[in-house]
Amino acid sequence: MDSDRIAEIIIAEIRSTVPELEAQPITRADSMTDLGVDSIERSEIILATLEAIGLKVPMVQLHGPRNIGELADLLHAKSAA
Amino acid sequence: MPSPQPDSQPLVVTGIGVASGLGHGKDAFRAGLFEGRGVFAPLARPGRQRDDGSPEFFGVEMPDPPAILPRRVERTAGLSGRAAVAVLDEAWREAGLDRIVPERIGLVVGGSNLMAREQFLSLRDYAERLDFLPPRHGHVFLDTDICGLCASQFPIRGFAHTIGAASASGAAAIVAAVEAVRSGRVDACIALGALQDVSALDLQGFRALGALGAGPVCRPMDTGHGGFLYGEACAALVVTRPEHAGSTVYGRVLGTGFCTDGSRGPEPNSDGQVRAAQDALAAAGLTTADIDYVNGHATGTPSGDDAELETLRRLGLGHARVNATKSIIGHGLSAAGTIEAAAVLIQMREGLLHPTLHLEAPLDEAFRWVRGAAQEHRVRHALKLSFGFGGSNVALVFGTPEEETA
Repeated sequence: MDSDRIAEIIIAEIRSTVPELEAQPITRADSMTDLGVDSIERSEIILATLEAIGLKVPMVQLHGPRNIGELADLLHAKSAA
Repeated sequence: MPSPQPDSQPLVVTGIGVASGLGHGKDAFRAGLFEGRGVFAPLARPGRQRDDGSPEFFGVEMPDPPAILPRRVERTAGLSGRAAVAVLDEAWREAGLDRIVPERIGLVVGGSNLMAREQFLSLRDYAERLDFLPPRHGHVFLDTDICGLCASQFPIRGFAHTIGAASASGAAAIVAAVEAVRSGRVDACIALGALQDVSALDLQGFRALGALGAGPVCRPMDTGHGGFLYGEACAALVVTRPEHAGSTVYGRVLGTGFCTDGSRGPEPNSDGQVRAAQDALAAAGLTTADIDYVNGHATGTPSGDDAELETLRRLGLGHARVNATKSIIGHGLSAAGTIEAAAVLIQMREGLLHPTLHLEAPLDEAFRWVRGAAQEHRVRHALKLSFGFGGSNVALVFGTPEEETA
């Protein structure tokens, strides 16, 4: 699974967690904070994505990415490791 | 302890919101009660049946609560939370609480272990994948999440907490709301009997105790009574001083009594029940002779009904009309005391008492049961009884909005 596919999963999880964003265009360049996603929603989105891609990593290892693309790259790197 | 002096200026109930198997809102509640509509059926919500071929659990489930919350919040709220927001919205609007400053509004949520069914389902769904349990579970499993949810959606900034007294929780919430307003801590307090969202595990526990009825008929106070039937319910009453009331005043809270009797388990205790009623009457400055209507706790369990009848006899209430709201909407457990108090106030306002369904052979013919169809009755002073496992006994005395001269 490549980083773009992981980004698609993240975006789908964002839309299901925050239904208010259903119709809004979301790209790799967007950050969840700028989209108005709160910290618990962000954790929910990341956990759901981890389950969808079959990856178990502690959440503390997933701090740092500044946007959805960077998060997808990080998850891709972790799943390839 | 009863108040030493009757309150010179009783508090009033000025807003009501209700949800039950009869539907959402007071119109559906009123119509269903007076019609005596039968709504019992096998429970169908996920997590409510054993699914192992054992007899089904019967009871009452409500229609899905109206969508009031923003969608991102709605998806995080369980059934108890969504029902709470629905009844709070109805009561809030009617009481016109937007007129009162948020810091002078309090919320008491009656009930404990409210969201057991959702925990039961989560445990089942996540047993094999606990690492992926949604983080929100860490705060939504707490009963106080209902307080947080309500105060996040409505400007309640005085206080918001829960109170637990088993099946008397909803009535205990009214007592706590009255005390909060009377003490001056807030100007308005909402007593909210929360929906006790029971799981098959809880229902099996009630069945094992011998408390739960079998089949689709609940017969409180009838010789054919065989236990209570669960009914989803939720209700909110807004309590204020008369000067803070909205345009609709349902009635006055004349007195309350709330005592414990030393029972640990489910066994009822007439001594405690009598004491709670006497405390409430003393606080109201009334005697049993002044009570013209009793809304019983009346669950339909043989030992509970017998103890309560003994209580009514000892109090000398043979002259009063008596009915049992649980015969229509089932036993709301945590919500029972609140929604049944709402039933008292609505009946008082309408001058009409709802029938006790399936009361064909009363355990004691000497009482003036409301049977068959709704009956006109001018209620001046009503007594509401509410009892809970663990020895909690609550009695509430309500009066008409204005004091009437005899």
